[in-house]
Amino acid sequence: MPDKKKTHPLQDANEPNLLTETYPHVLPPLIRFEGPVTEQIDGQAVTFDLAAVKTRPICITDTTFRDGQQARPPYTVDQMVHIYDLMSRLGGPNGVIRQTEFFLYTANDRETLDRCRALGHDYPECTGWIRAVKGDFRLVKEAGLKETGMLTSSSDYHIFNKLKFHSRRECMDAYCEVVDAALEAGVRPRCHFEDITRADIEGFVLPFAEKLMRMSEQVPEELTAKIRLCDTMGFGLPYPGVDLPRSIPKLIYKLNREVGVPSDRLEWHGHNDFHKVSVNAATAWLYGCDFANTTLFGFGERTGNPPLEGAIMEYIALKGDLCGIDTTAITELADYMRSIGLPIPDNYPFVGKAFNTTRAGIHAGGLRQDERIYNIFDTTRLLNRPPRVAITDKSGADGVAHWVNESLGLTGKNRISKIKIHRLARWVNDQYEVEGRLTAISDQEMEAKAEELLGEYWHANNDERRPAATETSGRSADQETADTDRAARE
Amino acid sequence: MATVEQRVKAATANVLKIPDPDAIQLTDSFTVDLGAKSVQSIELVATFEEEFGIEMEEEAALSVETVGGAVAFITEVCKAQGVDVET
Repeated sequence: MPDKKKTHPLQDANEPNLLTETYPHVLPPLIRFEGPVTEQIDGQAVTFDLAAVKTRPICITDTTFRDGQQARPPYTVDQMVHIYDLMSRLGGPNGVIRQTEFFLYTANDRETLDRCRALGHDYPECTGWIRAVKGDFRLVKEAGLKETGMLTSSSDYHIFNKLKFHSRRECMDAYCEVVDAALEAGVRPRCHFEDITRADIEGFVLPFAEKLMRMSEQVPEELTAKIRLCDTMGFGLPYPGVDLPRSIPKLIYKLNREVGVPSDRLEWHGHNDFHKVSVNAATAWLYGCDFANTTLFGFGERTGNPPLEGAIMEYIALKGDLCGIDTTAITELADYMRSIGLPIPDNYPFVGKAFNTTRAGIHAGGLRQDERIYNIFDTTRLLNRPPRVAITDKSGADGVAHWVNESLGLTGKNRISKIKIHRLARWVNDQYEVEGRLTAISDQEMEAKAEELLGEYWHANNDERRPAATETSGRSADQETADTDRAARE
Repeated sequence: MATVEQRVKAATANVLKIPDPDAIQLTDSFTVDLGAKSVQSIELVATFEEEFGIEMEEEAALSVETVGGAVAFITEVCKAQGVDVET
């Protein structure tokens, strides 16, 4: 396309254009497409209508209890049941979180599965995960599961160097034997194409996928093989124009359109070794893969998997609707995870203690005037997390005023002006300028000082409402349960 | 009774630690000439409110730049809120 210089005259306005069609604030920013995109595949221009994702039945699957557990000490049964329960509430009645997978090897694994199913939730559906060993199907059948994942590694790194097959043919035959065993056992096989982004796509992946499609023609729809594209080392790339095997658009195109694996039998499973895990999962959705596999807070092998809560936000952004999702469960899940000893960095999106905490006074001033200026969306509504300010030398009187008002839950005309908090602002200022303090001031410290220096303003409002300062979402019954669990373990 | 100007200058000298209130000029800018920093601007407004027993609208009060501007603004607010002052 030739460069074409254009002039861009100022379009003067007396009212702000806040672009609310993209930034509704009551939802995460929406992802909107202008038109189809074109990818060069095998020398041909192939068009993808990414906007179709809005009506396609994409959904999220979860592997918190499988891949997620490979990165940490095992959860207790009670913990997993509680997490499953919250995950069900998060995904909602439409099954946006469609499935979650479980190990099946130990008594604890099986008890967990039984207790999760006893909760009676429609979603997430429980599936299994086994080795590609024929005998393991007995475990799946005994557990009464309809579907299980199985390792069918696809790169020569795995085929030859790990699994020690002598040829690709030998490898594929072995895999197909296990798939046959699954079909005979009446269990739907979900073949995990491990290390697909380092595999020979034309030489092994597509022939194996074709074989699976042929085998699936012989069985009822509910048994047909699914394919999980496992980007085991996080090598996948979302950009147009990248070549195979790293190109996610091309991988999905080849399987979906050339081999004919339906979108609802394709699942993307990524890893975060190169910080691309979330965008790669979304790319898989956009190019024709219906399932994106995730773990809560991205916990998973090495650098982890696509964070489930991030996929939830992406899902809402693509759909333009909550679709029955209860986003507030994300905060409860994070509180629970913290209470059972899983670290979540303070700056971690959506759930870190400081994810919507601003430190600069000039930002706090913006927040005070209009929350939308410095809050990514209505975090109070969607996550029960009002935007907050941390008190440091950069906070200024605006920051202190914002802290006081948020702590007291005051909004609109009820907010206390910064003139009324000048003594507290002075104390903060002197902490740094006179006392030489180098650390942030904790909420507890601020509360004590506010009580001392703000007198009537603090007491009048604080009597009506406990400040939200010390804990962003308060202590919930879930945390109490978590404490009980932890005490029991100890 | 001291005038609004005298009381504003006295309060300003007190907050900004200026030894001689009479050295303050009506044309002085609180920030540029008298060196008021962020917190001190708020303390000034709070001190004026206490001194005159009035409530000032935050944005309007903080937008006043000079001592003379403060005298005029406070006089107006006192009048609006029924507070007698010596002008």
